[in-house]
Amino acid sequence: MLKLQNVSTYYDKIQAIKNVDIAVEEGTVVTILGANGAGKTTTMNTIAGLLKPKEGSIHYLGEDVTGLRPDQLLRKGLALVPEGRGILSSMTVMDNLEMGAYHRNDSEVGADLEKVMKRFPILKERKAQLGGTLSGGQQQMLAIARVIMSRPKLLLLDEPSMGLAPLIVADIFKIIKEISEAGTTVLLVEQNARQALKVADYGYVLETGRVVASGNAKELLQDDTIQKAYLGH
Amino acid sequence: MLSELINPYYLQIASFILLNIILGVSIYITLATGQLSLGHAGFMSIGAYTSAILTLNHNVPLVLGIVIAAVFTGLVGVIIGFPALRLHGVYLAIATLGFGEVIRVLFVNWENLTNGAIGIANIPHLGREILTLSKDIGFEPAALGLRNNQFISLAVFLLLLIITIAVIWFFIRQNNSRIGRAYASIKMDEQASEAMGINITYYKILAFGQGALLAGFAGALYAHMTAYISPSDFDYHRAVEILIFAIFGGSEVIWGPIFGAIFLSSLPEVLRSVSEYRFMIYGALIVFMMAFRPQGLIDMNVMNWLKRSKSKKKEGKHGTGSKENQ
Repeated sequence: MLKLQNVSTYYDKIQAIKNVDIAVEEGTVVTILGANGAGKTTTMNTIAGLLKPKEGSIHYLGEDVTGLRPDQLLRKGLALVPEGRGILSSMTVMDNLEMGAYHRNDSEVGADLEKVMKRFPILKERKAQLGGTLSGGQQQMLAIARVIMSRPKLLLLDEPSMGLAPLIVADIFKIIKEISEAGTTVLLVEQNARQALKVADYGYVLETGRVVASGNAKELLQDDTIQKAYLGH
Repeated sequence: MLSELINPYYLQIASFILLNIILGVSIYITLATGQLSLGHAGFMSIGAYTSAILTLNHNVPLVLGIVIAAVFTGLVGVIIGFPALRLHGVYLAIATLGFGEVIRVLFVNWENLTNGAIGIANIPHLGREILTLSKDIGFEPAALGLRNNQFISLAVFLLLLIITIAVIWFFIRQNNSRIGRAYASIKMDEQASEAMGINITYYKILAFGQGALLAGFAGALYAHMTAYISPSDFDYHRAVEILIFAIFGGSEVIWGPIFGAIFLSSLPEVLRSVSEYRFMIYGALIVFMMAFRPQGLIDMNVMNWLKRSKSKKKEGKHGTGSKENQ
């Protein structure tokens, strides 16, 4: 479904990711692991079109999408929940959800809103509240609910568990599993390696901008070096 | 009877307040996407000179001249908007301030077109044009008991009132539309807006162009209201004056700069004795506002409070009914 070949992205002269090859099969959950500064967010932003790769190519649904703008990619069903959630703090929860469907002009937006509200009752309860007044966990729910409003085929989640209490983290991972079961392909960036590998089918490990390991999620969970570096054994 | 009520002087002040409201709205639009532009005096001068030169030297009808001037200034705004995309915050402010000065110096030195620092005089006057037009269709101001100069001031004022209301109405509508939503979300979080599929390049340039178009439009109106323009009408002080409408009134809601424009342009008239020190007061005001109320006097909370007290009043009227129901 998604294929990165030899992708390198620079911030001015500083190379943030180097010759990254990543493939995501349709219907799977794929996770990218790595420490701070490994290039995880850069990889995600490059895929979503927020950053332009200097070298390499990105193919999505069999089509070369290298260098397309984020709005063009979103129309093709490739959506990103950016790091730090990106809640519009002085818009209401309802407005935030509607903004998720910004590029859509079909008649089913209303029905989708109902569906999302049903899945996230807390958002329904707080729909008139300003986005900035929600707690961190609720904001993450809102960010995910909002991206669902765009009807993604491939969903990129950048550290959805960042800064959340363990109980809420478990909730978030449950939601990710549900989204995947509902037929959306998920590419997940996480520092919470154990949880991420539990929901994922496949994993990549990034280190200083390079892919240093990849494999089945179960195998990675058992791998000695990975355990030492990321799982804290 | 009417002739005793109409004072051309007050009407003229009121007309300039309306013009300042349009300028306040013009800076509000660029600010609505989080772009701070100090080039609005420059845009205003482009509009003023374009319309003045077209009507005076090329016999273009006044209305057409104003429209062409506004559209042309909007295009200049779009062109400036592209490099402006790469700048943020104070850097954008400095660059646009520089742009305004470049335009002013250009008008000072392009003497065979703009008459240099002397300025352009005898520009067709909006009010007089309306007077000739109404006389042509057989309407005499005397029929209303008005002297000619009273009729001129009244006509200009009413025309500007209609235009101002139309402009405000248009941008309130726009705020509630897709464009307004895009502007608001870009102002709050550019990256998140991009991730939500908003083409931020398009909307930021659109906002810049709209702001420039409106400033150019106001400039053209200004030229035809005063009948005389010179580069010094559009200097740095004018840019600051426009900016301070938004700083003082607030730039979160459209009513902020409107309030700022009304309050700050009527103040020098009320306090004639201190109008000499206007810019000192403006400077102090900017410092004071930044320290104590950086969002301006009228923000979201004030609007919500106004709405609430309005609906409370309504409830009060129907209050007895609801109590009976309980």
